[in-house]
Amino acid sequence: MTETEELYKVDELKLLDCKKIHLTHEKSGFLTLEYEGKVYHKTDPTRLVPFFSKTTYISLSYEDEEKEFHEIGVIKNMADLEEEQYKILDSYLKYKYFMPEILKVYSIRDNMQGSIFVKSLTTAGEKTICIKDWYQNFRMLTDSYLYVNDADGNKYFCEDIHRLDKKSLSVLEMFT
Amino acid sequence: MKLILKLPPGGSEGIVYSLPFGFAGCGDECDGVFAVTEKEIKIYIDGELEEVYNISDFSEFVVRRGIGTSFIQGIAPGGEVTGFCGFTQDLFPRYGEVAKLLCHYIRTDELIKETGAEETVCPKCGLPLEGSSECVFCKSTASTMVRLLKMILPYRKSFTIAVIFTVLSQLIWVAVPFLDRLLIDKYVTPKKDSIAGILLLAVSMILLMLLEGVFEYFNMKHSFKVSLNIGKNLRETVFRKSQQLSMSSISRRTAGEMINRISNDAAKLEDFITANGKDAIVRILSVVLLTGLLISLNWRLALLTLIPIPPVLVMVKKLNDTMKVNYTRVWKYSTRHSELLHDILNGIRVVKSYGSEDRESVRYTDASERLVRANIRAETIWYLTMPFSFFMVTAGSYFVLYFGGRNVLIGSMSVGQLVQFTSYAAMLSEQLFWLIFIPRTFADASVSAGKIFEIIDERSEIMDSEDSRELDIKGEIEFQNVSFGYKPYDPVLREISCKINKGEMIGIVGHSGVGKSTMINLIMRLYDCTEGEISIDGVPLKSISQNSLRSQIGVVLQETFLFDGSVYDNIAYADPAASFEDIIRAAKAANAHDFIVKLPDGYNTRVGNKGYQLSGGERQRIAIARAILRDPKVLILDEATASLDTRTEKQIQQALDRLTKGRTTIAIAHRLSTLSSADRLFVLDKGRLAETGSHKELMSKKGVYYKLVMAQRETTKMRTAV
Ligand SMILES: Nc1ncnc2c1ncn2[C@@H]1O[C@H](COP(=O)(O)OP(=O)(O)OP(=O)(O)O)[C@@H](O)[C@H]1O
Ligand SMILES: [Mg+2]
Repeated sequence: MTETEELYKVDELKLLDCKKIHLTHEKSGFLTLEYEGKVYHKTDPTRLVPFFSKTTYISLSYEDEEKEFHEIGVIKNMADLEEEQYKILDSYLKYKYFMPEILKVYSIRDNMQGSIFVKSLTTAGEKTICIKDWYQNFRMLTDSYLYVNDADGNKYFCEDIHRLDKKSLSVLEMFT
Repeated sequence: MKLILKLPPGGSEGIVYSLPFGFAGCGDECDGVFAVTEKEIKIYIDGELEEVYNISDFSEFVVRRGIGTSFIQGIAPGGEVTGFCGFTQDLFPRYGEVAKLLCHYIRTDELIKETGAEETVCPKCGLPLEGSSECVFCKSTASTMVRLLKMILPYRKSFTIAVIFTVLSQLIWVAVPFLDRLLIDKYVTPKKDSIAGILLLAVSMILLMLLEGVFEYFNMKHSFKVSLNIGKNLRETVFRKSQQLSMSSISRRTAGEMINRISNDAAKLEDFITANGKDAIVRILSVVLLTGLLISLNWRLALLTLIPIPPVLVMVKKLNDTMKVNYTRVWKYSTRHSELLHDILNGIRVVKSYGSEDRESVRYTDASERLVRANIRAETIWYLTMPFSFFMVTAGSYFVLYFGGRNVLIGSMSVGQLVQFTSYAAMLSEQLFWLIFIPRTFADASVSAGKIFEIIDERSEIMDSEDSRELDIKGEIEFQNVSFGYKPYDPVLREISCKINKGEMIGIVGHSGVGKSTMINLIMRLYDCTEGEISIDGVPLKSISQNSLRSQIGVVLQETFLFDGSVYDNIAYADPAASFEDIIRAAKAANAHDFIVKLPDGYNTRVGNKGYQLSGGERQRIAIARAILRDPKVLILDEATASLDTRTEKQIQQALDRLTKGRTTIAIAHRLSTLSSADRLFVLDKGRLAETGSHKELMSKKGVYYKLVMAQRETTKMRTAV
């Protein structure tokens, strides 16, 4: 009986009421969610549209012991959360989607075999970012949003390259 | 792999592995060290010992790849999970290795300190090595251009002939101003009336021109021979290589990109070699020759002509860099453009059925506009700098005119000499000017060359080893502790051990995405397993040559693909030498014959372009016929009958039953009734082999399989009730 219940819930978007959400940290590194009297362990928040928005449409889900995926529901806008709750969720998301922002680009070297080495200043310090197949992994998502996926799988971004200083922009110019 | 990267404050005493991390278990950023001793895991945060765990309290260690960070967890026997710390992705392979070694430690009580796994990044450029022992980028010191020139070697004879004839025709051009000088100094200036002498000069000029035409003919003939052949070789090499690449490297690239590389990039290089490779040699020669001539005529004037060369060279260098980047961008947009085109045209059915033709047009226009803009930008930079460069190059000749004219007036130089000199100077400028063009063509070509060599140099991950051999397969397949993941440390299949006997029919069942198709990909060795071993008739897959292996396996894949061609061609694809009768027999067995007869041109009906004229089930039956025709020792059916109604399926099944006698058959199906004739069923669950046994045995076990069957009966009941 419960299984059929589950089945029918799958095709329904459940928006969570932010006032009833209570999140706490737990030992596994995930969060614990209390919602409408139920307790969900190992809750793993996910940004549904990470490129468009960092604080809206956050899906909360967990994997049960059988490693079966269950979505608890979706938070439409984190701003509706209580301040304490917002902080917990936000810090978790910042960790999960850890993505240094590019602040300055000093130089870009191309090895002419599809890889580029971008010397830049990011929010995680100065770095030379190695990018393989750069025409795939060094991409403009919109006319101004730069998204970088380096050879190790680390990600970097620059929300608006036109707000960078002139020199960085002219260096970037060549590769975007 | 180095597993001690950063030591904890206490020093190296007793430390087995020690890695830095950037995030505490709760996700806060910090500066931490994850240290492992023989008994414990110690977590240091900002120089302080924060937490100590006993290794023996855990039954498993896992790394999980997140989006921007990953983390390492320990799982207690009760299922309780402890998150130790989080780290950025560059540390992922090392933590993955540590987790693997710790699991090994718990299971076998053997703590491996030194691992054979290689260093994961190139020490020189910092790029991950991804399995190869040397960095592909740092290994090749020979520049792309040298490699291009090397491709000429097989045609060196034609190439030399072409060069010789170009040099000869250049020499004629050099001779002409000399005749001019004779004409002016001997006949025009002295106003000497000697028709015979003038006629002689005129005739020799005409003869020279004719000769030049002949030389040019030989030159072109041989040049084209060289370049067209090199283009052909390049295309073939890239194509052959693209066929040999392992599935994982192929799926990294889109079909559009591959097409772009095989056709456009090769064509560009071909062009480059005809137009520029030879010319570069000849022109550099003529620059030397002309400079020599000028100096011998009048070294002072010659110096004036040569003044602009150094600044031009500097400029050329600068331009070269700029143009390279600009052409890379053009390349990028041109690839995107062909990718999009390929994508839209391939999915034209979806486009049409969603009525989104206009939307796609907009998308296409956008891509094509971007390409145009990139092109315009590259060309604009070029044409903005060009007139200036041209002026620079020719600037010398203005000095020459001034000083040379004065010399003539003084009498230290004849008019003929001046004419000859200025002609040579102009020729030299022309050559130099061409050298300015080099950056553009060079940049364009070297981008294409880079892309092509990238593919040619790519190491195929799956290769026949030296001692691989042909094997007459009987059909016994064994999985020994096989684990596999498409991405490292992210297993899809875990520790699968099973044995399939010769002639047995095995059904693989499990939820969608559990790894059924993956299992057969491994049997066909489209991928190599990460751990464990698969063997056929007791011989490990890795020591059977791929050709021999695959030629004895017949497959019907989950996605049916028909090549552009007739029904006949598509069935005969499995065995081009098959007789027509064999083909009909195979079609009959696959229950395809009847509908083929009804097609307008019978077996000659063209079903290309993904076989849109055929229904999904009809296509599937052609694919089955193809597999049957191969007469394989091992037959693999991945959802081969999923698009067929139960009656047709039954018929095919009966035909297959007859055919599969004595053959090992592996069938995957979601409709469990399809597998009713299977000897044994393998039930996959969460990447593991959960149960094996016959339908009856598994039903009485009331495990995973029982649940699957029950769930399916439920839905069938529901369907019949409606
Ligand atoms: N080329 C690939 N690269 C990366 N991941 C892949 C690739 N092919 C499959 N996967 C992943 O591996 C898992 C197993 O896929 P597989 O195709 O084996 O499933 P399956 O059991 O055949 O499913 P189905 O019944 O739907 O055909 C899936 O989670 C899938 O997303
Ligand atoms: Mg499948």
